[in-house]
Amino acid sequence: MHAIIHQKSLAFRQELMSESTSDNNALRVMVLDDQFERVAAVETSLIALGFNVVSVLSSAQGLLHQIGEQRPDVILIDLDSPDRDVLESLAIVNAHNPTPIVMFSGSDDASFIREAIDAGVTAYQGQGLDPDRVKPIIELAMSQFRNFEALRQELAATRSELEDHKTVERAKAALSERHSIGRDEAHRLMQKLSMDRNQRLPDIARTVLAALETGGGIA
Amino acid sequence: MTAQPEALPLPEQTALEVGYIRLTDSAPLIMAASLGLYEKYGLDVTLRREVSWANLRDKVVVGALDAAQMLAPLPLTTALGLGGLRANMVTGLVLSLNGNAITLARGIAEEVFEGSVLDDAAASAQRFGDWLRQSEPSRSITLASAHGFSCHSIQLRLWLRAGGLDPDRDLRIIVLPPEQMMDSLARGVIDGYCVGEPWNSVAVQHGIGEVVATGYGVWNNLAEKVLGVTEQWHQQHPATHLRLRMALMEACQWLADEANCEHAVKVLSETLALPERQLAPSLTGRMQFRREGQIQPQPYFHVFGRFQAGFPWRSTANDILEHCAGILGRPLAEEDRAAVVQQTYRTDLYRDAARRLGMVLPAVDNKPTNEHREVWQLAPGLEMGPDVRLGPHDSDPR
Repeated sequence: MHAIIHQKSLAFRQELMSESTSDNNALRVMVLDDQFERVAAVETSLIALGFNVVSVLSSAQGLLHQIGEQRPDVILIDLDSPDRDVLESLAIVNAHNPTPIVMFSGSDDASFIREAIDAGVTAYQGQGLDPDRVKPIIELAMSQFRNFEALRQELAATRSELEDHKTVERAKAALSERHSIGRDEAHRLMQKLSMDRNQRLPDIARTVLAALETGGGIA
Repeated sequence: MTAQPEALPLPEQTALEVGYIRLTDSAPLIMAASLGLYEKYGLDVTLRREVSWANLRDKVVVGALDAAQMLAPLPLTTALGLGGLRANMVTGLVLSLNGNAITLARGIAEEVFEGSVLDDAAASAQRFGDWLRQSEPSRSITLASAHGFSCHSIQLRLWLRAGGLDPDRDLRIIVLPPEQMMDSLARGVIDGYCVGEPWNSVAVQHGIGEVVATGYGVWNNLAEKVLGVTEQWHQQHPATHLRLRMALMEACQWLADEANCEHAVKVLSETLALPERQLAPSLTGRMQFRREGQIQPQPYFHVFGRFQAGFPWRSTANDILEHCAGILGRPLAEEDRAAVVQQTYRTDLYRDAARRLGMVLPAVDNKPTNEHREVWQLAPGLEMGPDVRLGPHDSDPR
């Protein structure tokens, strides 16, 4: 799944590269995300496509000051950032905020916005900026966010596999010690239990460990 | 209240995801879960804590959440597309009235009030205005509100105007997430804020800030939080929506009973992972405005279920939009405003649920503002709260 997303994002990248990059140079992009690796990935790919990344903030300490200083055209922000209400307040024009920033809403393209929100990406842009110029930036962030999510899930799966493996090994050792049998014998015993009870081997291993800890045997 | 859930139309959907924000006045949503009221109405509600109002709105708009606790202006501003995603929204239930306060940094509060506590928003506003005007050299003040279009902003601006200050020129108002406010106050990034509880009491207890006005003091019994859904979701799930409102109305009635406050404090403390001492002052109506100060009786600091609190008055929606136009700095087209008020604040939906609960109902959709200093009767058995509002406000000629 990860590989597919990556290929897609590569293809997408080439497609973008073949379009005029001179336009992209003009857009100033700010990225706000407290997940360090993800924000770095988004930044790298934005730069690779020729966008001008003006600032990468891990949290919004001094967000308003940064926006005033850097004057970004587009701000990418994690959907779940508490600072989105701060950004939305910049839609209100007053003496302290002469250039309004509004949430990207495309041209009433509901499915695109839904997709972006599902991927965890929201974007704010200078009022009056052509949404078609902003869309590729959001698409890029979406693919990076999905990449990151796929990686995260992969990592979680690997961790739990490793954990299962360790548990089975520990149960084997405990069982062979308690019943003075060989490790292979202990393994076969657990496999049989696993089949009889229609439970996964790591779950049987956990039951075995719990039973041995409380001093009982395994029936 | 006597409800017979078995006599209600069958729900189109039983498993619901409902969003809320970590605030004391999320009590109705949390207590409805704790008291088993969602189950009573055949609903399996999962509460989702979100970190911004923008997030709640977007998730409700795209359907990632079925319903959410919303700032009273949010369904209206979402329907108008002010500042974010646009969608037709509906509320048939106001969850709470009041619940905010204005807190100033301790150093400034000491300069302005010299240790006295003013339980009078008009008097504290006047003192603050005088102080700012007389400051030599002139002070540059930054105050924070929890959201651009919120009762917090409305209350803060009313309070400043009551002190003769222009909220757009004489100082700066920014938006900060509630949970960042106290830290920003402690570090001197801001000089004060208007926010919901517990973030005022927390600043008082840490000796960082002092409460100088309550939301109630600025505008008696203004709608604060509502139950918001998209119009589309409502049309597709009218029976589910009805059951959800009824469960929450029962929770609000339960919260209206003072005897239940202690219990609510305990449950909220567990659910929100906040110490009881931070939640108790506003929920029990015994506020402390400064760390060394006396307990101030504030029986109406939050109002749940009393004074027809659940009724989505169209006049309130109108008032709120008028103030939003003041915040925006431009008028809203009259026909847009009227249409959005009609479509969004659904008195018919409230009446449907209240009738089934056997509650006495207002026959009108509007109520007066700034006419009653005391509790009054709209009709026999219909008790209403005071409705005083500090003047002048944004739309007054100046």
